[in-house]
Amino acid sequence: MNLDSLIHFLGVCVVASPAVLLAIFGIAGLLGIRLGERSLARLTETAVLIGLGAAAGIVMLMLTTGRRHVPIEIGNWVVIPDQHFHFHLKFIFDRLSVPFVMLSFTLCGTIGAFTSRYLHREPGYGRFFVFFALFLMGMVVSSLAGTIETLFLGWELVGLSSALLVAYFHERINPVVNGQRVWTVYRVADAAFLIAALALHHLTGAGDFDGLMGTGPWPEGTATINHSHALFVGLLLLIAAAGKSALVPFSGWLPRAMEGPTPSSAIFYGALSVHLGAFLLLRVSPILEQSRVLCAAVILVGLASAVLGAIAARVQSDIKSALAFASLTQVGIIVVEIGCGFRYIALIHIIGHACLRTLQLLRAPTLLHDYHTLENAIGGHVQRTESFWQRWVPVGMRVWVYRFALERGLLDTMLDQWIVRPFVALFRRCDSLERRWTDWLSGGPSRESDTVKPHVTSLEEFV
Amino acid sequence: MEQGAARQGEPELLQQIEHAAHFLPSQGPITVFVHHNTLHAFEDLPFDQGVAVGGTRFGCHAFLPEERYRHKLERGRIRVSDLEAVLLEDLGDDADRWVASFGTRYELRLAMLRFPLRTGPTAELRWVVAETDALRKFREEVSAGTKRMTIEATRSWVLRESHESDALDSAAYQDLIEGVLAQFPIQTIERWNDTTWEAFVLNFLWRVCQKGVQIASGMSHQIGAGMPQPLSAGTQSSKTQSSKTQGSKTQGSKTQRSSVQDRRPRDYLLEQTGMDSDVWVHDILIRFCAGFLDQGFAEWELPNRDQGMFAAFLTLYSIPGVSVTPLLSELRRETLRLRKQHVSPLASIAESLERLGVDARHRGSFITSTLLALRGWAGMVWQMETNAEWAPHPAPCGSLVEFLAIRLILDRLSVSRTARQGLGFAAPLKELPWQAEEESQDADSEGSDQRAFLVFQLAQVRGWNPEDLCHLSSEQWRTLINEIDLFPCLQRRRVYHQAFERKYRNETLDAVIAHRRQVNTPLASEQMPSYQLVCCIDEREESFRRALEEIDRECETFGVAGFFGVAMYYRGVGDAHFKPLCPVNIKPKHYIVEQPLYSLVQADKRRAEARKRLGQATRRAHRGTRTIVGGLLTGLFGSVAAVPLVARILFPRSTAQIRRLFGGMIRPPSTELRLERLQREPGKDDDAVGYVVEEMAAIVEGTLRAIGMSRPDRMSPLVVICGHGSASLNNPHEAAHDCGACGGGRGGPNARAIAQMANDRRVRDRLLERGLEIPAGTRFVGCYHNTCDDSVTWYDLDEVPVRHRELFERAKSAMDLARKHNAHERCRRFESADLSISVEEALRHVEGRAEDLSQTRPEYGHATNAICFVGRRAWSRGLFLDRRAFLTSYDPTTDDDKSSILERLLQAVVPVCAGINLEYYFSYVDPTGYGCGTKLPHNITSLIGVMDGAASDLRPGLPWQMVEIHEPVRLLFVVETSAEAMRRIINDNPSIASLVKGNWVQLAVYSPETNRVERYVDGRFEFYQPEQASIPTVGCSSEWYHGRRAHLGYATINRSVGEENS
Repeated sequence: MNLDSLIHFLGVCVVASPAVLLAIFGIAGLLGIRLGERSLARLTETAVLIGLGAAAGIVMLMLTTGRRHVPIEIGNWVVIPDQHFHFHLKFIFDRLSVPFVMLSFTLCGTIGAFTSRYLHREPGYGRFFVFFALFLMGMVVSSLAGTIETLFLGWELVGLSSALLVAYFHERINPVVNGQRVWTVYRVADAAFLIAALALHHLTGAGDFDGLMGTGPWPEGTATINHSHALFVGLLLLIAAAGKSALVPFSGWLPRAMEGPTPSSAIFYGALSVHLGAFLLLRVSPILEQSRVLCAAVILVGLASAVLGAIAARVQSDIKSALAFASLTQVGIIVVEIGCGFRYIALIHIIGHACLRTLQLLRAPTLLHDYHTLENAIGGHVQRTESFWQRWVPVGMRVWVYRFALERGLLDTMLDQWIVRPFVALFRRCDSLERRWTDWLSGGPSRESDTVKPHVTSLEEFV
Repeated sequence: MEQGAARQGEPELLQQIEHAAHFLPSQGPITVFVHHNTLHAFEDLPFDQGVAVGGTRFGCHAFLPEERYRHKLERGRIRVSDLEAVLLEDLGDDADRWVASFGTRYELRLAMLRFPLRTGPTAELRWVVAETDALRKFREEVSAGTKRMTIEATRSWVLRESHESDALDSAAYQDLIEGVLAQFPIQTIERWNDTTWEAFVLNFLWRVCQKGVQIASGMSHQIGAGMPQPLSAGTQSSKTQSSKTQGSKTQGSKTQRSSVQDRRPRDYLLEQTGMDSDVWVHDILIRFCAGFLDQGFAEWELPNRDQGMFAAFLTLYSIPGVSVTPLLSELRRETLRLRKQHVSPLASIAESLERLGVDARHRGSFITSTLLALRGWAGMVWQMETNAEWAPHPAPCGSLVEFLAIRLILDRLSVSRTARQGLGFAAPLKELPWQAEEESQDADSEGSDQRAFLVFQLAQVRGWNPEDLCHLSSEQWRTLINEIDLFPCLQRRRVYHQAFERKYRNETLDAVIAHRRQVNTPLASEQMPSYQLVCCIDEREESFRRALEEIDRECETFGVAGFFGVAMYYRGVGDAHFKPLCPVNIKPKHYIVEQPLYSLVQADKRRAEARKRLGQATRRAHRGTRTIVGGLLTGLFGSVAAVPLVARILFPRSTAQIRRLFGGMIRPPSTELRLERLQREPGKDDDAVGYVVEEMAAIVEGTLRAIGMSRPDRMSPLVVICGHGSASLNNPHEAAHDCGACGGGRGGPNARAIAQMANDRRVRDRLLERGLEIPAGTRFVGCYHNTCDDSVTWYDLDEVPVRHRELFERAKSAMDLARKHNAHERCRRFESADLSISVEEALRHVEGRAEDLSQTRPEYGHATNAICFVGRRAWSRGLFLDRRAFLTSYDPTTDDDKSSILERLLQAVVPVCAGINLEYYFSYVDPTGYGCGTKLPHNITSLIGVMDGAASDLRPGLPWQMVEIHEPVRLLFVVETSAEAMRRIINDNPSIASLVKGNWVQLAVYSPETNRVERYVDGRFEFYQPEQASIPTVGCSSEWYHGRRAHLGYATINRSVGEENS
């Protein structure tokens, strides 16, 4: 077996292991086979180990041979010659994707082991692992994606599994509402992404990052499009990244996403999914270089998010929201770093932050225990320190900032008030026009549903 | 003038609020977890009523769902004989009441209990009738004989009928039978096989039942349209309330979550528009309350917190520039106005009530339901105001009133907005008709299908012929329907529950009697035990004690409330604060500190300094990760965190050992308790901590006399006193596993203190003066049992005299073995531990659980607790109790004739154990309503409690992971005393009386001499006639429980049997 085919084999292993895992879970579900807790955990473990091992193998080979760019092609799936379109499944191993995919495997493996005990005897055990496999698949595909379509595929899988896991406890109202909210924001981000992908196709004729970013392995490539195009596509991608990474103005969903079981919060919003937007910006960083304005916009969004996160984190009185905003701060800084062109630093920052935050979120239920230990060590109640804040900022200002932070920067409220409401109002208006029209046509009330009152009685009987 | 009038009403308003506060959950900050009866507010009612009324008030289940009981019935956990006995007792003289021509009330009800009566929403029923074989096959439970007889009777009747067609009384039934016959091949009726006949009979029966129900409710006009197709039957009732077991009108009114007078405008709007005005209110209120009650988690404190909740709220919500929605602007205008006019919280409440148009008659209940709408937070505000002076930031007095004022301001703004949006209602809120009685338009038509289906099912199992049913008069039909209505789901569940309890109770009492007969150990053995162990009464120590007794037959064990009479505020050497270590109803006066040994003070200072530095550094690092700069630094080097992350999750136990190794360097060195007070008055200062000798003597005397260890010939050379507690990781409910008798604290220091006291020469002299002699050769040693990882820590071993060391070694090695066996027995309940696990592995397994971040069940706590024995160990020793029994030692022979020792003992034991038992009962029966649901999404907030996910009401109660193996039965006390003595104690102690007389606990008295049990029933003690004469005998506990996870029955453990077998 020569080197190339070995690398190809390992590369396929990396991608195939989560895909096979997902297929097994899916097919078992379809056939009505209930996999037990142990087999679910063991299968996940095996898939992660194979994937991680193969990825490590590729790293070793890349290091020994000095290659920095290893493409793995898995064929053209759709070719429409007239439209110059081809859907091309291609994965790249380079200095960006390899660390990211290894991070994904490591964290997913650890969280998988954690969850297998944490969710023991939970009725939704199987469901969690199916979503988890979906997520792993999405992460691997998007980290290794060599074309923008492939990246979009992984991106969607991650979004879907995230939203479903936020709404994991679907018997309560809040998780479902918040899950839908996350999903809605993701859709907006996806739309921006999709338009960007289309635009890139038009501009370069293919969605291949190689073509797009010119020659040279990451991060040295230079984009082949001019700066006004870069600005347009870049802004769309920035919206996409902002939606996915909960940057301003979409930050409101991040604390709301803390509805699922603790490990899913940890992996998604502490570690992986929240960094996916930053990863996207890293991946298309050659485009950023083409336009100063774009870089400025990226820095601005990052900075705003970091500041908002830092302020909001200070007033949160529950551990998970505090950690969510702390994550936001760091993701904001990472985005600033990307905007400034520090790509390696950004990558290191992502990896470090992901590990640290995952550990913190997993330990979130230990908060009381830790506080107790801390108080004992210090020998008294933990006092709030007299900071710059209390000494120098006037009282009125402090109250204002406190309220601003308590309202989480009012981002959600403003989105609701100025985007969602007009949007809904428009469609309500259309609806009422239609009703008037159908009423007129039918010569009387035409909608039976109008008279039906909402059904609120509970299905349950209480006493 | 208006204000004057408002002020006049204020005392009344205050009273109403305080009354409402009574219903709020009484759980304080989660760090000190005290088990309460969840329905404490309803304790003045008898249990059956209390759970029903409380359930209605809180919208929670009173008993398990019916199908759970049926499942128990199928698996034999409830026997039919239990149902029969309970039903007979329940009905009394009414049991024989004849119901139309269908048998007695007793028979009817028994049939309803024995056979699962299926029901459902109308749509579902119609589907069942049309699509399943409900009309083709008899139910499985119907015996072949009944089936054959019903079919035969109908067949001969129909065949006869087809010849002489005028035999039927009413023309309606004639139509009916013809309608049914039309569906079958009538020409070949002579040649129909059994299947066809069965289907015919059932179809006919179903129609007859439908018709009968209509006759009974006087709605015969529905017949024509409804009859031909089962599917279209009862179309008028399409808007049926979809209650799962809805069967009747009486029940219907009870199943409403809130009765009319408990309604709030929000409920009305939700019904009318589907919009929930509480969403906005709770969104603001939860965040604000969390900020207000925060005990120091958030970096920034709520501005103006010291001015109280109301003032802080008004300031915070009246600032300009953030009111981006109309509702927020309205809130700002309102808060500005209230600030400007200096409206007090009470006046604001009065104003809000006025504006909402709350009827003066309903004001009290309106306030209650308003507070209960976010009851976790409201309850916590009340607890922080009234019961948490020890907390870093308690809430100022009057906070609950301020909470209500804020809530009502938000409520009325949100309600008026919702009404405007949803209903186009622009008039003043007062005119919103939210208090109007609910329309009861389909009260009658709803449920008619359900009733018919119930009769249909009953007719099958009871073997009623369609023919007989046809001949019923409308009066008889009404009687039958009424009778069924009188026994709705709640009543059935109550009877099931009592039957379930009865089975367990009878088995327990049988086991006590049989065990005594089988073993017959002398109650007062002549032989002096080699050493003695005094544990807490906690049912988790039952298996530990049993294991020790099996290992070393010469030892003796005792159980006493785990604070051992030492009620104190305690501060350990590494602790920052004093915390109370005694039952919650005792307010300690004494303070005890743990100090480094005098010679090690310097060494300790250095270590304390190192600990402090490390603590501050840790804190800074943690906070830092949430800021910009700190976060940047920690983020860049965060990859290091991957090591502990992976290590702690994949190898929890080894990681813990390594951490402990390093932690040892800064841990406080050897310590001693500062037990003796130099000053006169007890206090917190250095010289004021501790007890004087006289007080110590009183404590030691009280405890020794309580357990009956008051004769010198009964005291062995070594007495081990063992406190307990539990430590686990990643568990917000950690404190709920600690010692209940220490008020949710860890009882090690108490054990250490009493051992030290009892060893004191001067104390012994004092005791001798009081007639209690502790032999000079007796030595007390204190230790601490961690019930989570089953470790035992010893105190002050250096002081064990040389001549006691050999005996101590023997006791220690026996206890080391016992804790392994204890871990092994616990493991049978953990699904993640193999059933074939060895004793050594079991200990490692539980150690791993305690250190595992991902473990949501470090231990099962008090789950499965069910009984409490008060008496000598001699009659329960060797009885396998499956960790379900609180064991309190009491020797009636050492008590006076007034049983005053017993009285003192029960004053503490009954409320504490009942509180634990009832909290588990309610958290299990309704895990999301009374309990706090699953642990998985829990989010610690403000350092005082947990929310579900990102933002929710605070969740008091126990998590599902703690109670999942529990079996909800009321605690059964078996007290070794006479009925007269017990009766006197009940009558003299109101706190015991309300629990016992209201049946919140079960009670029996036992005499081991005569081996007779008398059970407390309705104020009388009745002789209990055992059902079973013997229980199995096995050689050792593990032989009995080996390979079994589920509930286990009783067995006598007799080692001689085991030795014979092997």
